[in-house]
Amino acid sequence: MSIVLRDISKSFGSRCVLDRISDEIPSGSMTALLGPSGSGKSTLLRIIAGLETLDDGVVELHGRDVTRVEARHRRIGFCFQDYAPFNQMTVHDNVAYGLKVRHVPSTQRRREVDELLRLVRLSDFADRYPRQLSGGQRQRMALARALAIKPEVLLLDEPFAALDAQVSGELREWVRSLQRELGITTILVTHNQSEAMEVADRLVILNDGRIEQVGTPDHVYDAPATDFVHSFLGPLTRWRGAPVRPHDLVLRTSGEGCDARVVDVVRLGFEVRVVVEEGGERSWVQLTHGEARELDPVVGAPVAVRRR
Amino acid sequence: MRRHLLRGLVLVYVGALIAFPLGFIFEQVASPGWSALSAALSNREMTSAIWLTVRVALVAVPLNIAFGVGASLWIVRHPSRFTRLLDALIDVPLAISPIIIGVSLELAYAQNGWIGRPLAAWGIHVLFDYWAIVTASIFVSLPLVSRQVMPLLRTLGTHQEQTAQTLGAGRLRVFLTITMRSIMWATAYGVSLTMARVIGEYGAVLVVSGNIAYVTETLTLNIGNNFENFSAYQGFVGASVLALASIVVLMVLSYARHRERLRHEYRP
Repeated sequence: MSIVLRDISKSFGSRCVLDRISDEIPSGSMTALLGPSGSGKSTLLRIIAGLETLDDGVVELHGRDVTRVEARHRRIGFCFQDYAPFNQMTVHDNVAYGLKVRHVPSTQRRREVDELLRLVRLSDFADRYPRQLSGGQRQRMALARALAIKPEVLLLDEPFAALDAQVSGELREWVRSLQRELGITTILVTHNQSEAMEVADRLVILNDGRIEQVGTPDHVYDAPATDFVHSFLGPLTRWRGAPVRPHDLVLRTSGEGCDARVVDVVRLGFEVRVVVEEGGERSWVQLTHGEARELDPVVGAPVAVRRR
Repeated sequence: MRRHLLRGLVLVYVGALIAFPLGFIFEQVASPGWSALSAALSNREMTSAIWLTVRVALVAVPLNIAFGVGASLWIVRHPSRFTRLLDALIDVPLAISPIIIGVSLELAYAQNGWIGRPLAAWGIHVLFDYWAIVTASIFVSLPLVSRQVMPLLRTLGTHQEQTAQTLGAGRLRVFLTITMRSIMWATAYGVSLTMARVIGEYGAVLVVSGNIAYVTETLTLNIGNNFENFSAYQGFVGASVLALASIVVLMVLSYARHRERLRHEYRP
C-alpha cells in the first residue's frame, strides 16, 4: 500500500509552492513531512488527499493513479489541525458519519462505532457534543472518525500543534503505538523537528517547495545532506569556522592548552549550556547536568574545547 | 437610586412607544363586544387582503431564503471584485426608504420603463399586479437572511466540509448535513426577520400595487384604507390581526436567536 508521488508541482498565482516533488512512501510507514511554515508541506498533504488540485505530476496509491480522482473516492483518512469536529453532532454521530455515507446498516454501524470509541478511549463520551470535549479528546474523536472508513492511508495535518505540551506528549506516544498496531500507512505534517523525530520512522524534509532530504530520523540527523537540514534538525553552533552540533563538542577544564574562556553558563535542568570564546569566536557546548557538576565550569575560567 | 431612575425611564420609554399604543389597539378591538368583532373579522375585503399577504409571503420568503443562502455562500467562499460589489449592494434596501424602492420599481416596471417595456412586449404586466407586490417585498427584505448567515459561514470555515468529503460524502450531502445544519438557526432567524418585514411592508407596496381592493390590497394597505375611509374599528381589527401575526413571528425569532446564542457560547 505504498504512495508514489511523481514530479508534483503547484503554484498559487505566481508563487511556486511545490516544485517537482517526487517520493515513494513505503506501506505501513509513519512518514513526517517536516519543514518550516511556507515550505509547502500542508499543500502536499492536501494534494495527496485530493483536497487540492495540482498543476503537474502524478499521485499513485498502491499502483492506482488517483491524480484525477475526487477526495471522496480516495478512501483516505484526513485530520485537520483544528480537528474540524462536526459541532452539530454527538461524538457517536461524528464517528458514524463516514459509515452512514457508505450505507453501513445501523446495527453494524453502532458496533463499529463502539469499537472505534473504545480504541480511542472515548466510550464514555459517545453522547457528548464536541464542544464538551477537551482538545486531546477532540483530536482522538477526529482520528476515530477518519479511521471509521477503514482508510488505506491516514493523513494528519499538524496533529499536535494545538495541544499543550503534556497532552501533546501523551498523544504522540499513543498515536505512534496505534499506528504500529493498525499498520496503517500514515503521513503527518509538522514544523516541529523533535515531534517528527519522535513519532515518525521516516522524515521528508521540505524547504521552499523542494525536498531537501529523505531518510530515517537517525540518518538525517547524523548525516544532514544540506546546510538547511543541518540547521533545521537540531541545535547548531560554530567552532573554528565550521558548523557543529553543540553536543559534539567536548570540554576540558584542567591540563595543557586551555586556550578558550568560559563566557556564560546557562542551566536548563538536565541540559547545561556553556558559552565559550576562543580566538574571538563564540561557540556553545552542550553538557548534561552530571557532566557539568563534574567539570564545574566557572565564568572567566580557561577551558579547552575539542570535537568529539 | 440612580439605577431605579434609569429603570423607570426605560419603562416609560418602552411603555409610551410600544406597550401602550399596542395595548390600545387590542383594547379598541375588544371593547364593542363579540358580535362587532366577529363581523369585522369576517369582512370580505379584509379576509381577501389577509389571503393576499399570505400568498405574497409564501413566494417572497422562500425566494429570499434561496437568494440569501446562495449569495452568502458565493460572497464568503468565492471572494472577487464582483462579490464585494454584491456584498455592498445587498445592504441598499436597508439603507434607503421603502417609498424610494417603490418609486424606483414603478419607474423600472412601468410600460415604458427599462424592464417594463421588454416585459410588456411579451405580454407580461408586472406593475399593479400580484407580482409587483412580490417583487417589492423581496426587494425590501433582501439582506435579512444573508446578513445573519454570512458571519456564521465565515467562522465555520471549510474544514468540516472537506472532512466530510474525505469521508465519502458528495456535494449535496455535504451541503445538507454540514453546511445547512451549521447555519440552520441563523437562517431561521433571518427568515423570521424576512417574514416580519414582508407581512408588515407598507410604503413600497403602496406605490407598486395600485392598492386595488380584492386584487392588490394587502393587509397593511387594507388597514390604511380603513382609517382613511373613517372605518376606524375595521382598521383596528386588521391592525390587531397583523400585530398578532408579528408577535408569533417574534416568538419564533427569539427562539431561533436563543438557539443560535447557545451554539456560539459553547463554541470551542
